[in-house]
Amino acid sequence: MTNTEPLIQLERLGKSYNSNCVLENITTSVNRSEFITLVGTSGCGKSTFLKLLLGTEAVSTGTLSIAGAPVHAEPSPDRGIVFQRYSVFPHLNVRQNVALGRELEDTRIFGRQFNAKRKQTMEEADHWLKAVGLQDAADKYPHELSGGMQQRLALAQALLKQPQVLLLDEPFGALDPGIRKDMYQLVLKLWENHRLTIFMVTHDLAEGFYLGTRLWVFDKVRHDPHEPELYGSTITYDLPVDERGDARRLVEDTLTNELNKDIPQKAAL
Amino acid sequence: MYKLFSAHKTQTTRRQRGFFTPLIFSTCLLILSAVPLGQAVAERDSFRVCWSIYVGWMPWGYGAEAGIVNKWADKYGIDIEVVQINDYIESINQYTAGEFDACTMTNMDALTIPSAGGVDTTALIVGDFSNGNDAIILKDETSLSAIKGQKVNLVELSVSHYLLARALDSVSLAEKDVTVVNTSDADMVSAYTTKDVTSVVTWNPLVAEILKMPGATKVFDSASIPGEIIDTLMINTQTLQENPNLGKALAGAWYEIMQNMQESADVRASMGKASGTDLAGYEMQLASTHMYYAAGDAVDFVNSPDLLQTMQYVAEFSFTHGLLGEGAPDAGFIGIATPAGIFGDADNVLLRFDPTYMQMAADGKL
Amino acid sequence: MSRSRRWINAQPSMFLKITLGLLPFLVLLLVYQYQSDARKAENPKDKLLPSFSEMSAAVDRHAFQPSKRTGQYLLWRDTASSLTRLLSGIAIAALLGLTFGLATGAFPMFDALSTPVITAISLIPPMAILPILFIVFGLGELSKVVLIIIGISPFITREIYLRTKEIPAEQLIKAQTLGGNSSQVVFRVLLPQIAPRLIGAVRLSLGSAWLFLIAAEAIAATDGLGYRIFLVRRYLAMDVILPYVVWITFLAFVLDRLLILISQKSFPWYHDD
Repeated sequence: MTNTEPLIQLERLGKSYNSNCVLENITTSVNRSEFITLVGTSGCGKSTFLKLLLGTEAVSTGTLSIAGAPVHAEPSPDRGIVFQRYSVFPHLNVRQNVALGRELEDTRIFGRQFNAKRKQTMEEADHWLKAVGLQDAADKYPHELSGGMQQRLALAQALLKQPQVLLLDEPFGALDPGIRKDMYQLVLKLWENHRLTIFMVTHDLAEGFYLGTRLWVFDKVRHDPHEPELYGSTITYDLPVDERGDARRLVEDTLTNELNKDIPQKAAL
Repeated sequence: MYKLFSAHKTQTTRRQRGFFTPLIFSTCLLILSAVPLGQAVAERDSFRVCWSIYVGWMPWGYGAEAGIVNKWADKYGIDIEVVQINDYIESINQYTAGEFDACTMTNMDALTIPSAGGVDTTALIVGDFSNGNDAIILKDETSLSAIKGQKVNLVELSVSHYLLARALDSVSLAEKDVTVVNTSDADMVSAYTTKDVTSVVTWNPLVAEILKMPGATKVFDSASIPGEIIDTLMINTQTLQENPNLGKALAGAWYEIMQNMQESADVRASMGKASGTDLAGYEMQLASTHMYYAAGDAVDFVNSPDLLQTMQYVAEFSFTHGLLGEGAPDAGFIGIATPAGIFGDADNVLLRFDPTYMQMAADGKL
Repeated sequence: MSRSRRWINAQPSMFLKITLGLLPFLVLLLVYQYQSDARKAENPKDKLLPSFSEMSAAVDRHAFQPSKRTGQYLLWRDTASSLTRLLSGIAIAALLGLTFGLATGAFPMFDALSTPVITAISLIPPMAILPILFIVFGLGELSKVVLIIIGISPFITREIYLRTKEIPAEQLIKAQTLGGNSSQVVFRVLLPQIAPRLIGAVRLSLGSAWLFLIAAEAIAATDGLGYRIFLVRRYLAMDVILPYVVWITFLAFVLDRLLILISQKSFPWYHDD
């Protein structure tokens, strides 16, 4: 890609609900293939920021544009999403879950494909299942999968549409530490192989350092003790994560410690 | 659920059927059956009588309220509890099951429910007969013979059904010439307003209500078969035999009530009010009811051979409609005793017309 | 090892479970038999608590012998009429409930437009507006089916509405990021997930449907299970009524089982949770 323009541009971006200001005065830009991790205390506005990108919330002030165009305040296929839970469809098996993204491109009312086209879509779905390591579970239903496998499936669903931006909303928050480690490897592999642009909200600072190329900390800079809702958060730190190797080691150690901590506790029970 | 239907209650009350009572009734059977049966005790001093709302039975409500029944019960040293039951059929079923010692009902229902159920029953008081209260109404037709081929809406197996059978007979038609549609009396008036319904058989005050509607013509009514639809107080024969004082008290009370009713418009107005209408409405219903205010007249009616003939018609109708039970080989399976003679099996008499107590009232011996 | 278990931990074996389950039925039958015998001893013609042989004779007459008056096998004719009414009423009510419940649950505009009126309609006791139903739909088969429809479709609508609202917003957003438009989201995400819940809603409304059917048959009819019960009640034919009640209970049970079976076969993902 010869395009040197930043993929995403934010200009004095703000978001408020009536008199409650959540985000204010965010100006920055993001290039293709960056992996941004968003951290901050709960209620700091990092999730709201993700919703603005996703389109489920509308921008109040300022601008937010992707590839030069202001984002439409509705979800669309150029922005993929993986939530912490409920990202997959319980009534479809694993392969059908992935294929749905392609099927919806046909027949405007019912969103179904038939015959050769359908066969082609299913093959494509299998390709993505292999990419996330779910090829052996293609015929299972989501309730038969572990939490980690469900998140793998959600990733495959999103990747099939090859979105400009992939949004991850605390995707590993509900997973066990051991599984989380595998998921990190998977996300990093997908990020590298498909040159994805990723925004990931996390409450785990170590995770943010470990995965991201850039870490944003959301916080309020101005406080009014009498009217705490008057001022919103902004990006208080925008840290490039250069020492990835160090960060990774740090996180791996932490996770291992966590695991070790878990084991004796469980044994005691 | 039951509450929902009570709106209809005040309007249509005679021989009324409740909606869910059969189901509730059936499911309650086991509970009811767990109550130990009262073994026949020869002499008792406490009795229960039930009645339901109908022009000819309103006097019972008045008599209980005005203390007349109590007064006569005291005179004979007994207790009589008078209970009004909203659902007519239910009241007869309760009587048949032994919950009550006496109950108001028509001659036909007495034959087909308690008597056919093996409960030997006696007509203690013949209060009145329908003299136009029951009628056949056609829509946009003026003669009875036009009913041929029509659907006829009525309460199946009730006196309406009997009236229809007698009417068809009078114009040489049979029941197979029409299609009987069982229709709840509570919905008879609104049913008549629909285009599906072209003929109905029902009773007052519904008849009066329907006749107000356009195109409605009364083509036949019970005045054409006088004395055949009889409203009585039926009493358990065994109870009566063992407790003649009960019969005396009830007959004494009844004819005192009759006297008050005949003499006082206020008394009639209170009866009208209790039945959901006013004095004028009640008097209109009385006009098509042949009341026996005087005990002597009722005695004459019971003694007449016409009653025997009537009960034969009723028994034949009941038999052909399966009301006498599947075991009944003919209409005379259940014997009916009247002073003029016995219809049917003299060894199986289960329904009796006995003027003894009314005679005592007529003779002033109570 | 002989320490006895606490009662809250004592689990019956399969055999014991079945035995215990049957026991109350057996007790009820015995109590009935005893009471019936006691009444019969006093009055052999007692109709209130008919003996089992009288009831089986009544079943034989109604099910296996043509009626003397009409030449028909009454029980089967009554059953066919009642089931036709019941099933058409339920089917139409389910379709209506699904359509309106799904539409109100999925489209906020339609929700705003129709939920107040649907709520108001659902509060009307159908039995209270019977005269209006008669005038509009007549006294024939239609009004009986309509009574069932009016009786249960508000419940089904509301149930489907709530179940639709329960589907996580994440799924709707996800579907949109996969390119789904409104109609595709309804047909590929909501409808398939609502289908088993519709069966559940229908199961819950079966009891009311029977009640409305029997009420309709009591009002004006020439056949049907409810019709027969109301008719023979006129002469206290409990020997007919009791088997009919048992038969209705059995039919209701079979219908319910059938719906569970259909749901399990068609939507395994819904039941294996």
